[in-house]
Order: sequence, then structure tokens, then C-alpha cells
Amino acid sequence: MADAGKKMSVWKICLALLILFGAVGAAIGWYKFFREEAQPDWVTATAEMRFKYGSIGAENDAGIPYWIFFVLPRMFPEKLPGPGGYASLGVAWEQGQELPIGFTKKVIGFPRVANNCASCHTASYRKSPNENPVFVATGPNHTLDLQAFFRFVVDCAKDPRFNADEIMREIALVYELPFLDRLIYRYLLIPITKKRLMEREAQFKWVYHKDFPLWGRGRDDAMNLTKYFLLNAPMDNSIGPTDMPSVWNLKKYQPEKGMLMNLAGDSHDARSVIIDSALGLLSAEPKDRAEFLTQVDWLVKYLSEVPAPKYPFPIDQELAAAGKTVFDHNCASCHRSDRTGTRVPVEEVGTDKERLATWSKQAAIDSNKMVKSFGIERKGLVEIEPSGYIAAFLDGIWLRAPYLHNGSVPTLRDMLKPVAERPKIFYRGYDVYDPGDVGFVTQGADAQRVGTKFDVSERASGNHGHEYGTNLPAKDKDALIEYLKTM
Amino acid sequence: MENNNSMSASQRFFYRFGLSATIILAVASIVVLVLVGRFGADRPVEYRDDLDHFKYGSLGSEHEFGIPYWIWRALPELFRDKLPGDKSGWQSVGFVFEKGKQLPVGMSQRRYLGFDVVWLNCAFCHAGTVRETPQSEPKVYAAMPANTFDFRGFMRFLFATGEDRRFTPQDILRQIDIIRKREGLGKTPLIDRLVLRFYGIYYMRERLLTLRDRLEFIKQQPEWGPGRVDTFNPLKVYFSFPPEQLSPQEIIGTTDFPSIWNQGQRESLKMNLHWDGNNVSLEERNRSAAMGTGITPPTGDRRSLQRVADWLRKLDAPPYPFKIDKNLAGQGAPIYKNYCAGCHGADGKDFRGELAGKVVPISEIATDTRRLDSYTYDVAVNQNLIFAGYGAERFSHFRKTFGYANSPLDGLWLRSPYLHNGSVPTLRDLLEPSDKRPKTFYRGYDVYDQKRVGFVADVAAEQGKKYFLYDTDEIKQPGNSNKGHEGKGYGTELTPAEKDALVEYLKTF
Repeated sequence: MADAGKKMSVWKICLALLILFGAVGAAIGWYKFFREEAQPDWVTATAEMRFKYGSIGAENDAGIPYWIFFVLPRMFPEKLPGPGGYASLGVAWEQGQELPIGFTKKVIGFPRVANNCASCHTASYRKSPNENPVFVATGPNHTLDLQAFFRFVVDCAKDPRFNADEIMREIALVYELPFLDRLIYRYLLIPITKKRLMEREAQFKWVYHKDFPLWGRGRDDAMNLTKYFLLNAPMDNSIGPTDMPSVWNLKKYQPEKGMLMNLAGDSHDARSVIIDSALGLLSAEPKDRAEFLTQVDWLVKYLSEVPAPKYPFPIDQELAAAGKTVFDHNCASCHRSDRTGTRVPVEEVGTDKERLATWSKQAAIDSNKMVKSFGIERKGLVEIEPSGYIAAFLDGIWLRAPYLHNGSVPTLRDMLKPVAERPKIFYRGYDVYDPGDVGFVTQGADAQRVGTKFDVSERASGNHGHEYGTNLPAKDKDALIEYLKTM
Repeated sequence: MENNNSMSASQRFFYRFGLSATIILAVASIVVLVLVGRFGADRPVEYRDDLDHFKYGSLGSEHEFGIPYWIWRALPELFRDKLPGDKSGWQSVGFVFEKGKQLPVGMSQRRYLGFDVVWLNCAFCHAGTVRETPQSEPKVYAAMPANTFDFRGFMRFLFATGEDRRFTPQDILRQIDIIRKREGLGKTPLIDRLVLRFYGIYYMRERLLTLRDRLEFIKQQPEWGPGRVDTFNPLKVYFSFPPEQLSPQEIIGTTDFPSIWNQGQRESLKMNLHWDGNNVSLEERNRSAAMGTGITPPTGDRRSLQRVADWLRKLDAPPYPFKIDKNLAGQGAPIYKNYCAGCHGADGKDFRGELAGKVVPISEIATDTRRLDSYTYDVAVNQNLIFAGYGAERFSHFRKTFGYANSPLDGLWLRSPYLHNGSVPTLRDLLEPSDKRPKTFYRGYDVYDQKRVGFVADVAAEQGKKYFLYDTDEIKQPGNSNKGHEGKGYGTELTPAEKDALVEYLKTF
């Protein structure tokens, strides 16, 4: 009996120890992998800072462990478009900030880096080469080479040098990870990150398609992203890189008046666009739906109210006043009328059609179903075949260069030229402003070095169409351009 | 015996196994303890005196770059043929040795990984020498620009040794033993010998050659000569920017070493630091410069750096040691006030001035643009990641500027040659328009020119030691232009007598 009692208590002790170890292990596991820390106060100090650096929850599934993100450009500079680390990708990186605008850092177990809306929707410009850039949150990021960024992380993961030994050695040069974190990085985070990034390659197949021209700076193939990412659709032959849009002053879109959003009127309202874009950034169903929708509501409210930025150079008010008359006669019927914000048939506007073929009624139906399956209610995507482009609002048009949906015309002055006289080759992504022609500088040694070459003969990049006002007398064009600066 | 007999076979097995396991464990622990004691220490040579700490104290650069003391001693003897100039030893690349010291000013020592290893601290770029006449003993001044030290020559020598077939354990250990014997020491201890023989020397060679390859781009730059360095292009290499992809405009950034005394007043007046004024945070600037000695965020010795920083905050510039004509200097004072004080501060002690410490646009100052262009916006934002993970230590104050910063003129007499690129030998020359400034002159000579105020710049060689011919022709030697800082406002149109008076007054700074 005594022996049996002894045995029982040994078992009990063992069991208790086991439970204790299990509990400690679980606590450490939770702490090291799942514990969420709020971002520091400065991130949410102002609405603009929150837009630029605030997490929208993408760190859960799309986040890269901070120290891996940190060392990649140092280990694989040859996979970047040029010298400058992440800066070579044209990200909007403020002096003094640890990460570029649109790159969010959040601790979920360990610090992770992911993206928010501002990575594609922050514009930069310089008034002269001897000046630092001004960043305009909610403007189009015309310098960002998003495709190069997509490729960069995948290419790094595919490289044999993306292994625990070499990454740990590189991290050790810049930061002394605590012992447990070293083990976690070496045996879990590095292999898992490698695997997950390589899995992206399948979804990114069309990003690597050798027959498709590169997007270049300031553009992305938005509807294909949705198609391949959200729907996992099989790759088709469509391509439609388009300009990153500005996302300020969204209250101008009034769905009740039949206005649609996205370049081809693919979506019903701002909330739907924001939800769909944010889901793209999360690249997964939101972990916490209520939290996700709270972020979306905040973005809808913020973006509805942000005003378009004022033109930063002097404006000849007299000339601009004369330009208003020209505008009223030549432009207002589409750009300041009931027609604004609605679809214009592509046959009428005559611009490049390829973007329309990247989307379809079926894709819209499927996507709406998919988002609904996440338990998210929204007006959603428009379930008809794309047939034309939205007549654009022109607020802040000065900062939205290059022009047309595919960014194929460098400046407003070029827009007022017949197609034959518009530039056929130019360089996108240089941020020095050209107040003479209204747009960015797109020619010359610096533009060539910094920018990516844009060739209007490439697929989906045609600069034809929208030949309106091209026959105006020179002085009317000058006046019109001056007026457009005031918008 | 009885007890033993009563054991079962399995008990006996465990008894024996336990015994041998205990013995093995005990022996292993002793071995581990000995090894930890022998190789685990990380202990710098410490100095009680702040000045000695500045000259010889460790910032922690040995962790990443340190080389064993005895190899340091052996290299210039084994590879004498690779040394430049008089081939006398480390002095040949411009290192300064004080009497009775085996290590030069600017080199620290630390016990690390079982060896006494040595590498650099602030003083290797920020300490120099002055001689009154060629016959005088050189006097060492801490925190002045290292006027004789040829950084590039130093690297070139190190890389040349790494490339040489004699860089083998056998040759190097033999050379070490020769030196040790000469100094009455025994042979290298066996354990050191083994580590160096089978690992240390191969590793060092590999590191040297890797560093050589990474710094290959420097070959595109005109020779720096003594007293100069390219500060920010090596940083691009540190960030892994491919040098061949950099804009040709930004690949030359050679400048004079600055003096680093009186940092406190600069800090309190929030002056723009570095030649182009790219940072207003003294603390950040210090850590950035310390990285130039070889520290990394994980390995830098924070306490040691703090001690140097605090000392430099309060350190005064050394007074001019030669005769000053008080009367003439008095005549120079009002000229200084009219022409110079607005940008350079009230005098050598009071740095306040309307534009002091501010950046003057390049179009206005019109000096050589290369250094300014070498520092780019992309470098500035990448610097934001340095010291990441270490809280408030992360850099956040670097800014791209578009001109050069107005510097206070404390200890100006020791800061020759002048302008950011060291293109004008003396103060008197600086007061001439650029076409009257010397087109070529010699750098690295430490005899003082009391008349023109600066180092004597027309001596090509002395006792087998050759000096560096600096050519200001910007076509042949881009980055070396001596133009700018000229015109009426800059005093180049003053009369010769006024210029003499002004120069005399500047001796009092």
C-alpha cells in the first residue's frame, strides 16, 4: 500500500510538472508569436501619421519579420533596381523615419513589417533638384516600382543565400538578438518566411511573365492583382498596368448619383474600394473582422475629407481666369458635370483598351461572393462587363502626372497635343516638378537615371485617345493649363 | 565486498557507468572552465586619464576588426617592401608614436577571444603633430585633424599584405618570434600558436581580402593623401549599394579630417555638424563617426564612447604656441568682426553668430561640390536604420543639405590646410582669390609656417620621407578644387596689410 501510494504521488508530481511545463511553454509561445503590442503613440498622434504609418492588420499574414526585412537589401542588392536599398524602389521615405511611408511596424509576438494604403498612395515632388522632396499623403506614388518590390522579396527567398546561417550572420552585424529570439529566427522565422515568400511566386506568375512589359514606376496592374490574389484565378493573357490614383477628397464620389470608382468604374463606392484594396494588403481573410472594419471606417472618413493639395508654384490668376472659360467650353461637359465620375465608353474616349480586358463581370461576381464569405457586407464590385473609363474629377490634377489611366502622357501640355506629337519615350518616377508643362520632368540625364523608361508602343501603354482640346490656339492652351493648376 | 556481491549485474553496471560519467563530466567541466577563462574574456586596456583614454582607449572596434597585437607588430617588418615612403614602420603611413609606446596614437587594445587585439579609435583621425622647426621634436595635439595620417595608404598597405604570398602562418609566426626574441620574450605560447596557425591567420587574410574587394571603388577616386578621408561613400558600401551603379556625380567625397574640440558649445547652439551640416545631433554624429573606427551597433562600447564625448564637449582648442604680434592682431579684430563673425562666430571662444553653424547654399559659397554631392538623400534615409533595435539610439537626425556649413574657427591654426577638401594650405592663401592660391602644394609635413599660418607646404621630402603633392586641378583631380569662399564678402579683396592683420588675429583663436 505504501509503495502504491508512493508510486501514485510520483505520477502526480510528474503530471503536475508536465502541466506546469506545458503552461510555461504555452505562455512563452503566446508571448513570442501572438502577443499584440499597440504601435507607439507617435503613429496615431495625427490622422496623417496614422494614414502613413498605422497598421491596418496586414502584419498577421503578410508581415515579414523585422530583422529579415532589414537585412534583405544588404544581402541581395543585385536584386534591386539600383543603389539605395529600399529607397531604390522609389518608396516615399521621410528623413528621420525608420521605415518608408506605407511600411508599418507592429509587434505580433515579434516585430513585423507590412504595408498599408500609403505605400502606393503618397506622392512626392521637389520644386528643384536642390531641394528635398515634399511628401503628400493620399497622392499617387508615381516613384514607386511596385513590381520590382514584389519581385525583390520573392527573388530573395528563392536565392540559396536566403538561409539561416547567412541571414543570422547579417543580423548579428546590426543587432544582437536575445538568445531565445536567435533560436526562433534560426529555426522558425527564417525557414517559414522563405517558404511563404516562395509560395507567393505562384500567385505572382504574371508578374514574372517574360512577354509582359514591366509596369515601371508609379503603376500597378490592379485588377489582375485582385483576380490572381483574391480569386486565385488561372493566369490569362491580359495586362493592364495603370497609374496609382490619388485617394484624397473621396467624398466627391456620390454613388447615389450613379458615380462609380476605379479607373474603369469597377466598384460601387469608396468603402468597397477600400475594403478590397485592404484585403489585398492583408493577402488573407482578416483575423479580426470587427477590428478590420473599424480601420476601414476610419479610412473612409479620413480619405473623404482630405483635401487635394494646393499647387506649390505661383499661378497667374488673370491667365487662369481666362483659362476657366476655355475649360467651361471644352472640358466641363465631362470633367465638371453630371457625367463626371461615370463611365465613358472606350470607343468614345479612344484610350488604350487593354486595362478593360483585365476584368470581367464574372470576376466581379466571384469577388463579391468571396468577400461576402468573409462575413463582410459591402456594395462591392460592379457586376457588368467593363466597357469604358470613368470621366475623372480633376482635383489636384497637377500632382497626378503622368496622365491618362495608364500614365502614358507625361504632362498636361502633352495632353493637349494630338497623339502624334505626344512623347513616345519618356522616363517616369523622377520627382522634380516641371511647372512649365505641368507634370514631372521626364527627360534628361537625371530622369533617365532615376526613372523607368516608358515606351508607348508597349502593350497596354498606348497614349492614344482623349484628343480633346488639341486644336485649341496656343494661348488658350496656356490659359487652360494655368487654370488647371488651380484645381 | 559484501556490498558489492549483493549488487545485481545491472546495479553494478549503473554504478560503474555513474562513476565514469561523473569523472568525464568533471574533466569536461574543468576543460570548459579553462577554455572560458582563456578565451572568454572581453576586457579593454583602460586608462585613468581622459586624454590617454582619448588617445589609446577602446571604443570596441576590436570586436569586429581587431587584429592580434603581435601580428600588428609583425606586419610592417615582414612586409617592409610594401610600406610607402621611408619604410620605417607604421610611421610610414603617418601613424604617430609617442615615446615609449608600442601602439600609435589612435590605436586601442583589448583582450578578446583569447588574444590581445588592437584596432582604431577616434584619435587615429583626430590627433596630429606640430614641429616648430625641422629639428624640433613633434608635439602631439589631441583632437586636431590627423595631418600626417594617410588613411588610404594604411588600407593599401594592409590589403597588400593580405594579397602577398608571405601572408602565411609560418611566415607571420616566425616574424613574431623574431620580434619577441629581440625584446627578450619567449616564443609565442603554444595555444596562441595553434589558434593562429590553424585558424587566425587564414581568417584574417580572408577578412582583409573581402574588405579590399568591398572598398575597390576607392580606386576610382583621386589619391586622398594624408589628413583626408571620404566619409560617406564607404557608408554606401556598408549599406551594400553597388558602387558601379552610383551616379558619377557622387563617387568622390574626399575631405579634410576636422578638429573635434569644443563640441559642447556646438551642441548647445544646435549647429549643423559635418562639412555639409547633415546632422545637428552631436550624440548621433559621434556614434556615426565611431562606426568609422569599426564599431557596430552590437559591439560599440557605449560607456567608453560616452566618456570621449563628454571630454570633447569641454575640451578647449590648444592656444597658438608661437609669438603673436598683439598690436597687429588688434588691428585684425575689427576686420574679423566685419567680414567673418556673421558666419564664423564672435571669436575663437564664443561661437555665436547670425549664420554660424548654418548651411550656406552651394551657389553662394561656391567651393568644390563633390563632397556635397557624395551625400545623397538615399544615404540619409538608409541611415535611419542604423542602431535600429536600440531604442532612442536609432539615427533620426541625418538630413540631405544643399550647401556647406559655417564652422566656428576655434583652434584654426591647427586646422590647416583649409576649406572642406583641404585645398588651400594656409590662412594667408585663403584670403587670396582662387586664381592666386597655390595650384599645387605638399601635404603631410608637420613643420609650422608662422608667417602664412598653416603647415609648411613647399617641402617635397625630408630625410627619406616624401610628402604628398596636392594638385588643385579639378579636371585632373576631381574633388580637389580650391575655388570658392572668395570675393569681397570673404575678404579676398582686402589690402595685403589688412590680410596680414586678420591672419595675425586668427592666431588668437
